[in-house]
Amino acid sequence: MKVDHSLPLEYGTEQNRLNILGFWIFLGAEIALFGTLFASYFTLVDRTGSGPTGAEIFEITPVLIETILLLTSSFTIGLGIHAMRLGKAKAMITFFAITLLLGLGFLGVEIYDFIVYIHEGATLQTSGFTAILFLTLGTHGAHVTFGLFWGAFIILQVIKRGLTPETANKAFIFSLYWHFLDVVWIFIFSFVFLKGMM
Amino acid sequence: MKELFPPKQVLGFVFSIVLTVIALSVYFLDMSFELAMTILLITAFIQAAVQLVVFMHAGESKDKKSIYTTLYYGFFIALVTVFGTLLTLIWGYY
Repeated sequence: MKVDHSLPLEYGTEQNRLNILGFWIFLGAEIALFGTLFASYFTLVDRTGSGPTGAEIFEITPVLIETILLLTSSFTIGLGIHAMRLGKAKAMITFFAITLLLGLGFLGVEIYDFIVYIHEGATLQTSGFTAILFLTLGTHGAHVTFGLFWGAFIILQVIKRGLTPETANKAFIFSLYWHFLDVVWIFIFSFVFLKGMM
Repeated sequence: MKELFPPKQVLGFVFSIVLTVIALSVYFLDMSFELAMTILLITAFIQAAVQLVVFMHAGESKDKKSIYTTLYYGFFIALVTVFGTLLTLIWGYY
């Protein structure tokens, strides 16, 4: 296998470069997926029936905590990739581990939020609004959950095999995925929560 | 230790926090719906751009063109879906 050492490790081979491009194309499709969810959300947001409205169940504090956690995790994984490019596997693993812990914290607060909603009478079946709310938040939360497992396996592989063109490539692609989840959350934060609470 | 915190990414993070605080103004301050949506649209899209360009290095490889094309295409599809839905189903232009 030909490895070009003038490039960062994760771009070192032709296959690596194409893997990264392919993942960007997948992210393009994910943007479209979340676009359909937002379109449905805006259509159903006022269809609350006899259930609660967004303004009644949303609370600023947990939402703000979730936002800070995910934003910071996006920063730390960026630092992880930076450390990886410096060849510092240990620092990279530390940053990745911090990222996953922050992600876990995010998920914990989101699950807590879901439980609060359900206690306040907003379940998946309550109204068009609550159904699309849980679907939109849940699709994002499921992505985060998946990312936690994915990231954990990446860390294990880097510990086992060290930084090779393959492991660096996988780690970089995982970082793209994780940053993307933050991008989606920015829109959820703005157009589901802040819009719903104003 | 210092080399582990590149200024570009630290600045990107600080900028994201600032944009989040600006977005929060729609909650804490009294303003019209139109102004609030304008602020949110601006802060959300700038923040998304910061993530994509600063953190995800969208423009660093020779696939830059293809990556930006797929991103613009994805955002185009999402925006047409969202605003097309709003136009026909909510705002009543059909």
